[in-house]
Amino acid sequence: MKTKNILLSLLLVLCTSAFAQEAPKGDVLFKGGTVLTITNGALENTDVLVRDGKISRIGKGLRAPNGVETVDITGKFLMPGIIDAHSHIAGSAINEGTSQVTAEVSMEDVVDPYDVSIYRALAGGVTSIHLMHGSANVIGGQNETMKLRWGQTDPDMLRFEGAPRTIKFALGENPTRGARARGIQPQSRMGIEMMLRNSFSEAQEYEKRWKAYNASKDPKKVAPEYDLRMQTLVDILNGEVLVHCHSYRADEIYMLLKVFSDFNIPRLTFQHANEAYKVAPELAAFGATASVFADWWAYKLEVYYSTAYNAAILHENGVLTSINSDSGELIRHLFHEAAKTQKYGNLSDDEALAMITLNPAKQLGIDNRVGSIEVGKDADIAIFDNHPLSIYAVPQMTFVDGVKYFDINNDKADQRIYIDPESSIEEVTLFEKMDYNHRCMEGAAIFFGQNLINHQH
Amino acid sequence: MAIAQEDDQVLKAEYGKFALTNAKIYTVTKGVIENGTLVINNGIIEAVGANVQIPNDAKVIDVAGKEIYPGMIDGGTTLGLNEIGSIAEAQDYREYGAITPQMEALTAVNPNAVTIPVTRVSGVTTVWTMPQGGVLPGTAAAINLFGYTPDQMYAGQRGIVMNFPSTAGGRRWRRLSEDEIKKRQERAMKEINETWDKAELYAKIENAEDVRNYPEIEALVPVVKGETPIFIEVNAAQDILNAIEWIKGRGYKQVVLTGVAEGWRVADEIAESGYPVIAGPVQAIPTRSSDSFDAAYANPGIMSKAGVKVALRTMDNENARNLPYHAGFAAAYGMGKEEALKAITINAAEILGVGDQIGSIEVGKKANFFVSTGDPFETATKITDLFIDGYKVPMTSRHIRLYDEFLNRATGVDKTKPAIEIKKK
Amino acid sequence: MKSLRKLCLHAVLLLSMSVISLSSWAQSDPTGESPVTRTYALTNATVITKPGTELKETTVIIKDGLIQSVGKNASIPANAQVIDASELYVYAAFIDGMSNTGAKRPENPQRPQNLFTPDPPNFYAGITPENSVVEQLDVESSSIASLREAGFAISNTVPYGRMLPGSSALILLNDADHADDIIMKKDAALFAQWVGAPGAYPGNILGMMAKWRNLYRNAVQDKKHSELYAQNPAGMTRPENDRVSQAFFPVIAQQKPVMFNVDGVLDVRRAMRLRDDLGFPLIVAGVEQSWELADELKATNTPIFLSLDLPDEPKASDDEDKSEEMAAMEERRMEFYKIHVAQAAKLQEAGVNFGFAVGSVRSNSIWKNVQTYIDNGLSTDAALAALTTNPASILGISQVVGTVETGKLANVMVTTAPLFTKDAKVKMMFVDGDKYEYEVKERKKAANGGDNSSATTGDPVTGSWTYALITPQGDQGGKMVISKEGSNYSGYLTSDDGSPDTAMNNISFRDSELAFDFSIDAGGQSVQIVVVGTVTGKTYDATATVSFGGQDISMDLTATKDEQ
Repeated sequence: MKTKNILLSLLLVLCTSAFAQEAPKGDVLFKGGTVLTITNGALENTDVLVRDGKISRIGKGLRAPNGVETVDITGKFLMPGIIDAHSHIAGSAINEGTSQVTAEVSMEDVVDPYDVSIYRALAGGVTSIHLMHGSANVIGGQNETMKLRWGQTDPDMLRFEGAPRTIKFALGENPTRGARARGIQPQSRMGIEMMLRNSFSEAQEYEKRWKAYNASKDPKKVAPEYDLRMQTLVDILNGEVLVHCHSYRADEIYMLLKVFSDFNIPRLTFQHANEAYKVAPELAAFGATASVFADWWAYKLEVYYSTAYNAAILHENGVLTSINSDSGELIRHLFHEAAKTQKYGNLSDDEALAMITLNPAKQLGIDNRVGSIEVGKDADIAIFDNHPLSIYAVPQMTFVDGVKYFDINNDKADQRIYIDPESSIEEVTLFEKMDYNHRCMEGAAIFFGQNLINHQH
Repeated sequence: MAIAQEDDQVLKAEYGKFALTNAKIYTVTKGVIENGTLVINNGIIEAVGANVQIPNDAKVIDVAGKEIYPGMIDGGTTLGLNEIGSIAEAQDYREYGAITPQMEALTAVNPNAVTIPVTRVSGVTTVWTMPQGGVLPGTAAAINLFGYTPDQMYAGQRGIVMNFPSTAGGRRWRRLSEDEIKKRQERAMKEINETWDKAELYAKIENAEDVRNYPEIEALVPVVKGETPIFIEVNAAQDILNAIEWIKGRGYKQVVLTGVAEGWRVADEIAESGYPVIAGPVQAIPTRSSDSFDAAYANPGIMSKAGVKVALRTMDNENARNLPYHAGFAAAYGMGKEEALKAITINAAEILGVGDQIGSIEVGKKANFFVSTGDPFETATKITDLFIDGYKVPMTSRHIRLYDEFLNRATGVDKTKPAIEIKKK
Repeated sequence: MKSLRKLCLHAVLLLSMSVISLSSWAQSDPTGESPVTRTYALTNATVITKPGTELKETTVIIKDGLIQSVGKNASIPANAQVIDASELYVYAAFIDGMSNTGAKRPENPQRPQNLFTPDPPNFYAGITPENSVVEQLDVESSSIASLREAGFAISNTVPYGRMLPGSSALILLNDADHADDIIMKKDAALFAQWVGAPGAYPGNILGMMAKWRNLYRNAVQDKKHSELYAQNPAGMTRPENDRVSQAFFPVIAQQKPVMFNVDGVLDVRRAMRLRDDLGFPLIVAGVEQSWELADELKATNTPIFLSLDLPDEPKASDDEDKSEEMAAMEERRMEFYKIHVAQAAKLQEAGVNFGFAVGSVRSNSIWKNVQTYIDNGLSTDAALAALTTNPASILGISQVVGTVETGKLANVMVTTAPLFTKDAKVKMMFVDGDKYEYEVKERKKAANGGDNSSATTGDPVTGSWTYALITPQGDQGGKMVISKEGSNYSGYLTSDDGSPDTAMNNISFRDSELAFDFSIDAGGQSVQIVVVGTVTGKTYDATATVSFGGQDISMDLTATKDEQ
């Protein structure tokens, strides 16, 4: 990974190669709308000026400089582009499930810019996603934080430049079910804990070996075996990679807090965490954060004892919480999901909106760039015709870095950017809930009427 | 002296005579009563209006500032037939075999499923719960979400579910050639026609002495005779047209088309057929990658404007409680609030053949309604009171109880040492 | 059993042949098949020595496997067979950048008992870069003659396998008794593809990318270690003898390229990303979606073998009252078809010197597809270059092949009309100096799409089969029905338990191997099952692999053909 960082920085410095392309940036003046800043309340009848992809001014009576287009948002609502902290759209593959520890793999290798789900997410006001590895492994692969620059066909152009590295961990039924099917560890929550501790311990040994080698002045020294997996774990131990852990049950959430405590890893985000509310005080004490569903539950045993009030309880107990979709369908109405914290709870408008803007930004380490409407931040912006927390809100336009990628009034219906010439015109697919929700292995696999994965009788 | 352990609070449903006063009442069929009273007695709406006499012995509930709506009706779920999605043992909506119309959803419903209170406290009082699976997976039933036995829950209608042969792919990778699709369709239609031919024959000979026992075919006879409705699940545009043609050819009287994800493409034809539809889920991905992103949101509105009678469904189980939001999206993307509200109240009731019993606030109908702090489509609206079949149902569910316990959890004993010390190297 | 018998027969034949050839130069040949002379004179021909250079009334002398001379006043050797080529055209024979020509697919490696999926043995993971396609060569393979008939004399034959099957070899498409006779260059390239281990690590692209990085970086370390050790071993840990690592050494030394079989643009990008990360020389081959990469390929000097596989031209429906939406979508689809078929022209325009990869395209579709590229903007000179001089250059054999020039290998094509015109047919091929003649018939209009040797009635796979699938939970049975229209197979599986029929997708049948995939609904989630197996008479023995949620499970599938 170090080589890659050097390469990247070289590219950034040189900027001569035609292929270290910069993401397109735009200029635009939004005039006369209600600006939902998140950090500074709702400003009525306010303008926002965007220059070179950044928010440059917020105020009243702003004028558009030469050549800058004005977008009239009278009567409309402007909010930061929505950030989905758990997504699996735009990926050619999701899970390397053949091993229980695969820290070495990375979603950056499998970004699929041709997925029309990207456009449909933009049509729901989403500008950034956290493309995550699947949840079949205790220690999964590295994730990729992205901006939804629809139409760019080079996967690297969808990268959220400068975003911190993150990685996926998973606890509970998904990893144990996979291991059970393959006859390996871990087949219980006990096994998951030990696999985590063992992996970290091995990584510590790996680091020691390499440190010794690097420090050695022996001319005959031989490098120890290079192991990308161990190196990534070392990076996690050194705080260079943020861990996002798929988890559900209160006890396993608590277990991970202890493990991270023991290995001195201070930052941790629990994903889904349906039972996080049961250990909210412990999470707050550690400083861990949670990224949860608004109201999904009951699809597995470990979420049977959930409550839709999860996000509200966590918030009230001082745990930084965001709401994610983990679904190509749900991502399109995250603004509606956020509003559920006002039904299942009593969050204010700003608190509810923060669940899908500033809070996920903090969890992904990109809050210096996005998540609120503040001068200096990226112009990732969503425009709605009604307050986004209203059920009647219809997203109107979505901008990334000040460039418009979604416009409900001017976009064609058919947004595909690649069509297989051998496809038929009337290709109709009925997506059931399971198809577009990443619920890795959670439905009982019925194979011609028989249970394929579950070997119990 | 009580020795047995007890819950702090046991909430039981109440029955009897109630008067809800100072309410804004959305009758759905007879307009909005700005400031009215609703009187119910022994399960039936006795009076509703601006100036209504409140009986002396009625329990009065002042709902000033709030609104009353008919209980919402979800036109398609597996609620009660499935508790935990990933566990095969918890699934009771899918039976083995392609032709199993005699399978009754109603009796397999678990009245005590945890999902039921969770659903009803959001104002959904009645659902259509459906078997899934083969061509004729079973008999669906309308159930009210309160009762201790399926019979108590039974809301008055059952229907044969039929999954019309689909030309659509069920999943992303399947891509059949046009020829293959055609051949498969022909084969499937042949089987279906054979089955229904048998049903029609059986209808003629069923009273003969030595007629054989044939439960699968017997279950279809009431459809042939027009006594039981048939609910045809069909989604792709061409399939909808094929289904309409087929059922017209068969001449069965009570027909409902369900799913109709691409109904908007053939809305005029559906309107012309006169068949009502149960559409949904509204919060769904469009059927074609070339479709506009809001195809599913706009679908009910387009059909409704073309003159089709539309009810909505979530096609969900543990989250059937989101029905008002499916309706809200339909409203926002073209259907309008009024039609969308009808789609989950009176339309659904009428399409399910129980329009004389539920679906609106009218004298003589069942007391199925809820009280809310505002527009039930708006996400932040809260439901405060709930009546199903005349019972005032306690506003509690496991979600609420967990909220109560954990919002401000008892801290627990603070132990500084961990329970187990893992020795570090 | 059968393969053993065949092997024995083969061995006997080999022995007898070798006995004969060990005797004197003027050997007797009771088969009468060997030629009278290996010296040929093609007189008065129109010779296209290289793209853009045409010599008229020229004589080409071929002797003992080499082009002895090309010119107007050549003196014809006494022992030459003189061929009047006054109506004929002479070109350098084509070079195929990548295919399995001449190779025979080995049996799939057996899944080991108690397979530890996170760390399977290398042979099972398909990590065998130390192997070579030479081990898979089968001189009897009909693919050699078939490709030769389409004008090719050399194929860069790649091994069958998974992610790192081994090295490719350049083979001469000649009839021979022993593989050694046709191997022109061993270890031409280290072959790689994105094919994961079934149900083991690395299973998909995620794992494969990481595995590559790990293998390569360790190989770099190992190489350094080996070199230091060779210089002065005393006091140094002995290097491990890791043959996988060692297979990378010539690549690390920039002396041997890695050739990635990558068709889709995202897969090509992944190969290029690895190259950028690790620094090895890269050739991309079998590319079907190159148009966005033209400039980048040029700027990074990445050699590319463009795929000869083209999509079928989409047909608009002739429905008279088709909707506007439908018409618009047909137009968009056609737009992408045009992009596909214009990509060769685009590469040409960008200045990329590309070759062609035959891949799994049927020999009798090759010319048609090249013509399609030409019809959509590729110049005939560039087409010829892509088939001759460019691949020769990419594969490092320009000194000996690619043009019709004195001193080069006698790999020559003789046609009845100029190449890329309607009437052009291959009349003669010279491969390594050996002559092959073809009867030129009027090509029948492809009523059945110019398909392979099996007529539909005698086709070994069409018809109805009864299959049994052995799952962990019990046997599943039904019918497998396969039909053929033109050159395309289609089929479906029925199920005895009443589940709806399932279509068989991507059916391919080649060299007795029948492969297809199908998808089923597993509790609402889509599951793909890949079936690969051998057809022997009326029996089909296959393995069905289920990929679900990142894990793979293999099951046996057998079928017997039903009596008609």
